Amino acid sequence: MSGAPVLSARGLTRHYASGAGVVRALDGVSFDIAAGELVGIFGPSGSGKSTFLMLAGLLERPSAGEVWLGGQRVSHAGVHLDGLRATRRRRIGFVFQRANLIPFLSAIENVALSLEIADVAPPDARHHARRLLEALDLAHRADSLPARLSGGEQQRVAVARALANGPPLILADEPTAALDSARSRQVMQLFRRIATTRGTAVAVVTHDPRSVDLFDRIVEFEDGRIKK
Amino acid sequence: MNLAFKDACHAPARFALTSFGVAFLLTAVIGMVGLYRGVVEDALLIIERIDADLWVVQGERAGPFAEASAVAADVDRRVAGVPGVADVRRFSQFSQQFDFAGRMRRATVTGVDVPADDGRWLTLIAGRWLGAGRYEAVADAVTGLRIGDRVTLARDVYEIVGLTRGMVDSAGDGLLFVVINDATVIAQRRTSEEIHLARAAHGSSGAASADTSSVAQDSKIAAVLVRLDPAADHARVRAAIARWGDVAVLSTAEQRDLMLNARLWKLRLQILAFTLLILLITALVVSLIVYTMTIEKLHQIALLKLIGARERVVAGMIGQQAALIGFGGFLAAIGVSRLIFPLFPRRVVLLPSDLALLALLLAVICAVAAFVGIARASRVQAREVLS
Repeated sequence: MSGAPVLSARGLTRHYASGAGVVRALDGVSFDIAAGELVGIFGPSGSGKSTFLMLAGLLERPSAGEVWLGGQRVSHAGVHLDGLRATRRRRIGFVFQRANLIPFLSAIENVALSLEIADVAPPDARHHARRLLEALDLAHRADSLPARLSGGEQQRVAVARALANGPPLILADEPTAALDSARSRQVMQLFRRIATTRGTAVAVVTHDPRSVDLFDRIVEFEDGRIKK
Repeated sequence: MNLAFKDACHAPARFALTSFGVAFLLTAVIGMVGLYRGVVEDALLIIERIDADLWVVQGERAGPFAEASAVAADVDRRVAGVPGVADVRRFSQFSQQFDFAGRMRRATVTGVDVPADDGRWLTLIAGRWLGAGRYEAVADAVTGLRIGDRVTLARDVYEIVGLTRGMVDSAGDGLLFVVINDATVIAQRRTSEEIHLARAAHGSSGAASADTSSVAQDSKIAAVLVRLDPAADHARVRAAIARWGDVAVLSTAEQRDLMLNARLWKLRLQILAFTLLILLITALVVSLIVYTMTIEKLHQIALLKLIGARERVVAGMIGQQAALIGFGGFLAAIGVSRLIFPLFPRRVVLLPSDLALLALLLAVICAVAAFVGIARASRVQAREVLS
């Protein structure tokens, strides 16, 4: 671990009521991710790793426990999620299994949109977006619509979008699940580079064991807890 | 970055088709309103243009536009003698079918009192006004007649000497102006058999005196138009004429009211009802379109929320898209209206005030539709991007 924690989970718990009783999707998980650290979150389906990402990404409210970002408590059981939109905008970048690009915007517009939403002037946003795409070897595809990009290219655009606002934390949920092994390795190397060069804390939920060597640390989930 | 515009440009054909769908609905609304205006305008053409202060019609009648009216042949001379009357003109109007160029045509023969009526209230597009002579006619272009055409009305041949445009009656039939005496002859046309039967009924031998017909003749003068001296007391003149008992006196405003609220009332009501119905359908369709477009974008909306977009970004996208559809549809509707309505058989009048009101209504409809879409979008959670 290098530097102060960017993300701190403190006793994070998420319970769902179901017909069969209470489902403990996450049960008192605590751990930190430091700046510049690339953490792999592994575990079987239903182990709670995606739920953890939802709570850490401020997309769901925990039943108990707290989420701290950069030393500030941002989420807890009584938090109003809509009020965390600005925090998500400034501090967290998301990458998912599907690139989730807006189909009617070009690659550069998809990236620039994140910046414009954060009140960056459109010309500056576009300029910065182009630089990001260049950094990810996508300059030649900047004006292409998502439908004209390959899966790997779409995912790299999604990464560029996640990086656009320079967030200290990137959360990625199965980002390589839809890619072949070569593309998958490229994307994981990209995360490695981002963590190293930008000092971004990156948490990647994955099933894929092929890039284990790139992670600084691996956290394994089982039955809603971190496996000891 | 304007997301609404980007989305529209992404699928321009779809957006254009949607806008055209809205445009055709709006065209129907514009058409109904324009038809209503046209019917009213046509119906009031004569009443408002002929420049009369009072209409003297048959007693206890509201004619000549609301019901049949026939005044005695000497009423014009009697009215002319009333103090305060500047001038009088006899007037008659009736529908007439005639054969021309092998086809049956229809016109509304309008008898005007030439030379008292100099026709200055009419705009001729060709030819000249009626001279003092007989057997001339001024026709509206809608009758299909041209200058120099000759048409047979009753037993006489009339030459078209002038043309008007847009002079029609409340049914849309073109007006055919002839001098009042010709109009009376045309209206009194009878077959030989009718004349024989009429003579037999009156026990006549068939020998007519010099000044009376052997056949009873009803007056065909529908009304006498009165212009008053500028200093005349309307009420006093009116009361003086009404006191005779065999005639009724109406002001131009009363004629107008009778035409709109008696003769055309049901038609106006029907057109307005249809207009409201189409407006309602337009409101529902536009709302449905905007709502459907919102539903189609729920994933993108969730994504926008995920990356931290403020609610106004989402609301702006939906609102602007509704406005784009409304604005595009409205412009296209005006274009289509200007293109096709001149080809319609009845006049469709597009008043700027009506178009402005429609634009306002459409803006309200789009605002309501956008509100429905925004309400749906506001329930979208950022985490739905993962579903």
